Amino acid sequence: MTRLIRRRALAAFVAVAALAVPGCSSQPQSASPATGGAAPSVVLGDTARPAAPISPASVLQIRPADGAMMRTAVREPGARVTLVNVWATWCAPCREEFPELVRLERAWRDRGARVMFVSADFDDQLPAVRAFLSEQGVTAPSWIKTGDDMAFINAIEPRWTGALPATFIYDSRGELVRFWEGKADYAKFESELRAALEQSPKPL
Amino acid sequence: MKPRTLWTPLLLVVALAPIAAFAAFAEENSAPEPLVLGSAIPMADAKLKAVDGKQIAVADLTGKKGTLVVFTCNACPWAKMWESRIALIGNAAQKRGIGVVAINANDPNVNSEDSYAEMVKRAKKLGLKFPYAMDGTSQVAVAYGATRTPEAFLFDASGKLVYHGTIDDNAKDAGAVKQPYLREAVDAVAAGKTVPIAETKSLGCGIKFRKA
Repeated sequence: MTRLIRRRALAAFVAVAALAVPGCSSQPQSASPATGGAAPSVVLGDTARPAAPISPASVLQIRPADGAMMRTAVREPGARVTLVNVWATWCAPCREEFPELVRLERAWRDRGARVMFVSADFDDQLPAVRAFLSEQGVTAPSWIKTGDDMAFINAIEPRWTGALPATFIYDSRGELVRFWEGKADYAKFESELRAALEQSPKPL
Repeated sequence: MKPRTLWTPLLLVVALAPIAAFAAFAEENSAPEPLVLGSAIPMADAKLKAVDGKQIAVADLTGKKGTLVVFTCNACPWAKMWESRIALIGNAAQKRGIGVVAINANDPNVNSEDSYAEMVKRAKKLGLKFPYAMDGTSQVAVAYGATRTPEAFLFDASGKLVYHGTIDDNAKDAGAVKQPYLREAVDAVAAGKTVPIAETKSLGCGIKFRKA
């Protein structure tokens, strides 16, 4: 008798734990409410299903940001230079250069540079944004543009015409030191990054 | 060497560093110079192949009241979101004495949806009453400093640029537009009045310039 209660308690615990894990709502949960009023409310039997593995996409942070928030973000300590890339799932050249940026981030993250991705997709395209980022192997938090286009464009950089993709490199004080519109390749990303690092004051 | 003599070169370096940095930055900034307000129509005589098969020049299309040039294309999702509004505004402007032309400067090798054949179909689908023409070298777009699609340039009766920018403030939802920038600019020009908001921006696809 004791063994059965223990097993059921364990099953109940696993079921509750599984419910608490985010992003698993697409998986049919074994912990459905039981008919009848007797406790425990979860009846799983002897073979409890383990919690579904957490996919990176389900916990990927994509924060809404306007231009002012991005300008603040690039000033946050933690890197000597910050590269901001504005892209969108619907922008073919953006998608084409994206893997190079992911590669750049990996190569330079321990050398004083960080990369911030800002999607210019519409809010209702968030699932597509998530899927693309996950596909590209991005696990760090990124951003999605919010609010009026013109305000966003001008807050980031008045010289930017709004064309995508656009890349901005800021020094450790959050000052813009490099900027271009249009697709780039790894060689260009790296040479621009190097130039920015040279210009960037070393942190105290 | 006396310590004081070291200061002069040091001061020079400190003074020149920001200038050097700015020069480097300015060189690296590859956004072309946008056409300033008051400018004349660039490359007005350049021949462009319109969807009806004719070679046209913007100079031949100027209207009594003004001229509207919109760089757009078939493939860009933002151009697609705005295209029926561009058609409406353009068709109406033409009726009011403003010459109108839509120009596709994209290299169709980048996206075949931007081919001439597709342009012919799209013009028909949209019911364009004004020419939709291909900038076969992308150089006309370069001359305007145009960088994205769609991007509008409105010239007044004397051929001076009085509006440069986007269609309105809401690509996604025509019903939720609060600022119909281009429509208001066209209204002003048709009435011979000052354009209320002369320069605007929006996000859009970069123009796919042909490689030289």
